[in-house]
Amino acid sequence: MPVGGCYGAPVSGSPVICVRDVEKSYGSGAARTQVLRKVSVEIQPGEMVALVGQSGSGKSTLLNIIGGLDQPDQGEVSVLGLNLQTASEPERARLRNESIGFVFQAFNLLDHLTCLGNVVLPAAFSQKDASHAQERGMESLRRVKMAELALRRPSELSGGQKQRVAIARALFASPSLLLCDEPTGNLDSQTGKEVIDFFRELNSKDNVTLLIVTHERRVSSIAQRVIAMRDGKIVETTDEALAEAGPS
Amino acid sequence: MMPARSMVRMIVANTLRSPKHFVLSAFGIVMGIAAFVFFLGLSTGVRAVILGKIFPLEQVQVVAPRASLLLGEKRLDDAIVDTIRKRPEVAEALPRMNLNFPAYGKGRFEGQDLRFEVGGFADGIDAGFVGDSPRTAELFRDWEIVEKDQPKVACEPAPPDPDEDDYYIPPAPAAPAAPAAGTPAGPTSGTTASPAAGSVGEPAAAPRPRGYKNTCPKPDLYYCDESTRVCTRRVPVVVSPTLLELYNGQFAKSHGLPTINSDLAEFIVKRGGLGRMRFTIGLGSTIVTGSNAKIDRSQRRRIEAQLIGISPKAMPIGMTMPIDYIRRWNREYLGEEAAGTYSSIIVTLKNKDELAVFSQWLQDDLGLRLEDSLGERFATAIFLVTSLFVLISFVIITISAINIAHNFFMQVSERRRELGILRAVGATRRDVRLIILGEAAFIGVIGGLIGVGLAVSCGALVDWASSSYLPRFPFKPTTYFAFESWIWLSGLGFSTFFCILGGFLPARRAALLEPAAALAQT
Repeated sequence: MPVGGCYGAPVSGSPVICVRDVEKSYGSGAARTQVLRKVSVEIQPGEMVALVGQSGSGKSTLLNIIGGLDQPDQGEVSVLGLNLQTASEPERARLRNESIGFVFQAFNLLDHLTCLGNVVLPAAFSQKDASHAQERGMESLRRVKMAELALRRPSELSGGQKQRVAIARALFASPSLLLCDEPTGNLDSQTGKEVIDFFRELNSKDNVTLLIVTHERRVSSIAQRVIAMRDGKIVETTDEALAEAGPS
Repeated sequence: MMPARSMVRMIVANTLRSPKHFVLSAFGIVMGIAAFVFFLGLSTGVRAVILGKIFPLEQVQVVAPRASLLLGEKRLDDAIVDTIRKRPEVAEALPRMNLNFPAYGKGRFEGQDLRFEVGGFADGIDAGFVGDSPRTAELFRDWEIVEKDQPKVACEPAPPDPDEDDYYIPPAPAAPAAPAAGTPAGPTSGTTASPAAGSVGEPAAAPRPRGYKNTCPKPDLYYCDESTRVCTRRVPVVVSPTLLELYNGQFAKSHGLPTINSDLAEFIVKRGGLGRMRFTIGLGSTIVTGSNAKIDRSQRRRIEAQLIGISPKAMPIGMTMPIDYIRRWNREYLGEEAAGTYSSIIVTLKNKDELAVFSQWLQDDLGLRLEDSLGERFATAIFLVTSLFVLISFVIITISAINIAHNFFMQVSERRRELGILRAVGATRRDVRLIILGEAAFIGVIGGLIGVGLAVSCGALVDWASSSYLPRFPFKPTTYFAFESWIWLSGLGFSTFFCILGGFLPARRAALLEPAAALAQT
């Protein structure tokens, strides 16, 4: 199904994410594995979307392609008005730097940097004025209630604290799109709940668009829309799909 | 592309956070650059000593070929000098003239009587050619010409001393000078010297009274010439660093005399000024037993000279004075032809590369040749040894670069996730490549600095060991090294270059990593 209004300069109301007929495979010959098969999806500004499915269904691959961290074999992807297939590599890097925040299951913090150093890391690659990076980094840490531990290193933090620092880094550049890959996967239920609540607040108050890859019902249950994937295809966007995705 | 300031900060932080990696990567390059700088500094220093002091290689020397029955003897005269000067490749041509008749010198130095042969061991060069220091340039002049029009001051020469002035035949009528008390120092006073052998002159009849006083104004510069009986400026003489080294290394030690450092002016001042550096030259006499030179006894006379400085332009073993003195004396003792025949011509070429062309022209058109230069042979030997050392250094540096490449490949592999994170937060492939190359370059700069420091320290250690434990020998330098700026800058440059070279492929691999794949690493 063709997707309209995805390409060209972003206008108010046009989709934040447009994915059209995307295919992706890994390996070659007999070892070739088709991960995404003709996937098409649109996400509107301010939406909070959960992407669910079993392991190996292609959700993380789709998230990576949307975030410009991976390249599709075929199809088109547009994010915030930028066609990722025709954009140059620096343009895609700039999009990640200024407009997209990533939150990973494994936190992906750099152990040799402090919490604040991790949070302000995007400023090192930004063409914008970085003179107030430290202040903005502290502000991000305050939002996730981690300002007191700003000078600690990630190895000195609990899992929940690490994820909060990772979220602070994702929010550092005030992105309009947050891509989260199993953000509560490594957290206990209480900490996971806090993170979910924070995402909900972020979405409702700051109008940040969220695409969350998750296995957990409690995450998908707060999403405005749930997209289910199976064997590299989008199969449903219903509660049934959610139920099939796994336990809460 | 990330801002340069951020990149530099990240490169420094990344490099310093892993001392083990830094040491593993930098060790080889430190050793290689240290060897490179050490050997190059050593060979440059040794070259400076050998070619600067022992065999000066600033100019080439044109000499006449040995006489043959067919061609006769080729004379170096003014016409030849003019012809050479007109060659396009020649910047300057200055003739040298040897003192070609017997003469011997005598003086007192540190309470010792010194006698030495001057004939054959003295030559003259253009006064303007010896301008190594302002002091030398001021004193090294033909004073007979300079002061030709100045009024002469009459004086009473020192009376003959049959015990010392055995070559001296007084011109008639020689009146003895009035004795003056309290001035024992002087060229004609002192202890009894050993009698000269060979063709020495007849002793004077009356013993010379002691206490002669030089009545000339500025007695440290002027003496009373016994043939003209007017105050005459002493002939300025320079000697070569080679002679000074031979004196310091062998002669001074054998005779219990003080050594002279390279600052002769300081030495002279400490010993009471130029007046203490004077000596007499007996023109027409010799201390060589059995000399066949035929100089009429009536021609023999005595002049005074004084050592005014050290110059690498001076005759290596002997003394050098302004050429017009030599010309006049050769004319006086040997005739007009000797006064117009040069022993050699010093030629400075505009470009050393034109030496072969000039040499060929010299041989083909003028039938002359260049003096075989030991300096050239040493220069070639030093070049070969230096090349070998530098080659060894480059082998070390190349191995280091391979080691750096290996280390960085490992690093890139270990830091995949980190590189993926950088890409996720906005780093471009180019940023990643520059970060890795910057880390390699930083190791190169730091490794190069440590290597240069190590080389200079080793050089200082060698110099210290040499000055502390090695006995003095001729031309023993205070330092064997010349760490000129181009050497250590080259060291730093090569260090950085080879490290960047070593980091090139790992940086490329890092840049080509897909962020998603890199982040998938656990």
